[in-house]
Amino acid sequence: MGGKVTCTLGEVKNRGDFIIYWGGNPAECHPRHFTKYALMPKSKFLPNGRKDRTVVLVDIRPTKSAKAADIFLQVRPGKDFELITILRAMIKDQKISAEAVAETGVTLEQCTDLVARMKKAKFGCVFFGMGLSMTRGKHMNSAALLTLAAEMNAFTKFVAMPMRGHGNVTGADVVMRWQTGYPFGITFNRGYPRYNPGEFSTVDVLVRGDADAAFIIGADPGATMPQPAIDHLARIPTIVLDPHITHTSKLSRVHITTAVAGISAPGTAYRMDEIPLPLKPALKSPYPTDEEVVRRIKESIAKKPFWMPDGAQMIAAQV
Amino acid sequence: MSKIILRLKEQPTVPLEAEVLSPDTFADLSNDEIRSKIVYHGKRQRRVDDFFDVEGERSDDLELHGNLHRVRWIGRGMSRGRITVHGSVGMHLGAYMKGGEIEVHGNASDWIGAEMRRGLIRVHGNGGGQIGAGYRGSLKGMRNGTIIVDGSAGLEVGMRMRRGTIVIGGPAKDFTGLQMKGGTIVLLSGAEIRTGAWMIRGTIISLVPLQILPTFSYACQYTPDFLKVYSRQLQQLGITLPCDPADGAYELYSGDASVPGKGEVLVWNSA
Repeated sequence: MGGKVTCTLGEVKNRGDFIIYWGGNPAECHPRHFTKYALMPKSKFLPNGRKDRTVVLVDIRPTKSAKAADIFLQVRPGKDFELITILRAMIKDQKISAEAVAETGVTLEQCTDLVARMKKAKFGCVFFGMGLSMTRGKHMNSAALLTLAAEMNAFTKFVAMPMRGHGNVTGADVVMRWQTGYPFGITFNRGYPRYNPGEFSTVDVLVRGDADAAFIIGADPGATMPQPAIDHLARIPTIVLDPHITHTSKLSRVHITTAVAGISAPGTAYRMDEIPLPLKPALKSPYPTDEEVVRRIKESIAKKPFWMPDGAQMIAAQV
Repeated sequence: MSKIILRLKEQPTVPLEAEVLSPDTFADLSNDEIRSKIVYHGKRQRRVDDFFDVEGERSDDLELHGNLHRVRWIGRGMSRGRITVHGSVGMHLGAYMKGGEIEVHGNASDWIGAEMRRGLIRVHGNGGGQIGAGYRGSLKGMRNGTIIVDGSAGLEVGMRMRRGTIVIGGPAKDFTGLQMKGGTIVLLSGAEIRTGAWMIRGTIISLVPLQILPTFSYACQYTPDFLKVYSRQLQQLGITLPCDPADGAYELYSGDASVPGKGEVLVWNSA
């Protein structure tokens, strides 16, 4: 199970003739997405632009994006997983009773129509937002949609992609992936990377109080995380690298002001389809870049003796 | 054979990874050797006696005392003997175990008996999530053995389990039996939503009504014969399953059609 079937936004622009948005509101949250990549552009295989595309929006209430969509399906809150699971069954021609489907807030006819359109499409693309990935079920909701997209490839080309926000969050995932093999929720305490979201992911570690120090770069968990996690951040020595004063920097012991990436610091940012883009600074900043601060911290740590007591010995064989 | 008794004397400030706390490791060791075994306190290597008072030696019967909620991987991969814990334990209790017995008088955290192959784990308090589950990226959870939790349980109980039995006394949370490939989960107090999601095979038995996923279909009402065998087996562990047709019957729901799978969810319906 699992895995991500994905593509670049260039492919969506040139080939994507069937677009589904699930639990997101790109009209307001990704304002350039419709015009640059997904809906409007005229392209090689879609010469008529918007007319060549079918757009479906699945959400719990009609948003501004609903006006841009051809079909709007209003799913009952917390029933996304059930609806995706029904769709997974229906693409395999399994019989589902109309009453069971109606529980999700969508009718059987709407589902049958959606499945027929999905199978008829030449290149389908599912974009999903926080309305799916951050509601009850969390990672399993995303997993369900990714599995649906993967299974649709038995009939036609289909991809799925999360609608990422907040600057360079994709970059953090991508870099962790090529360095360690895992995107997030990693521990290095044994000297090699181990992956277990729920055990090593930031929120869980902080809520349980398992960390005795925190080093935060370009993020503001003090504004977004649950209260027990914030309380723990205030209890332990927290170091923040950020250009601005944030909720997190206010509760931290050390706040190092850094240059703003993309405006006064160069670097690489990853677009939501994992394409690396170079950033060229337009202004000069009196502050050091994040990279420079981290490098200087690393150099001063390197001068200390190695932390393993008996030299370089790591753990012996695993079970 | 005498017991080895470990008493927690210093509460770890960060998780303590102590897979050495296992009968297989300690069975042939003297008291001094046990004390000098290495545990991982965060990234630091420490000795067992930095955290525990150790009594006894050369035994495969371990007794642990104290609030061990930050101590992880107790009994990892153990194949024989017995661990008794008086207090709570941290994650990965008895993960990968191949035999023997673990008893906890207290609560346990996530990943109890993850990917275990044989043996018995009994938790008298509450359990966490992912009981008997398969680790992320792994195709199979527990392959055999028995896990009994008297209290409640968290998310994804028995995720991708292949064989074996899990009994949960209290209520379980969402996604019980997620992607199950076989085995049995008994829910004495039911579960929250999405029970049996994406199950391929296996049996989930609930003694209280469940919210059934729309991809499961009602088949019939009956009392399967195999339940009598299960009931007799579980009776030895102090768990009673109703299986007398005079008392009622089980509603059988089969699914999950999205896979499509042949799993069964049996919900007790008393007469």
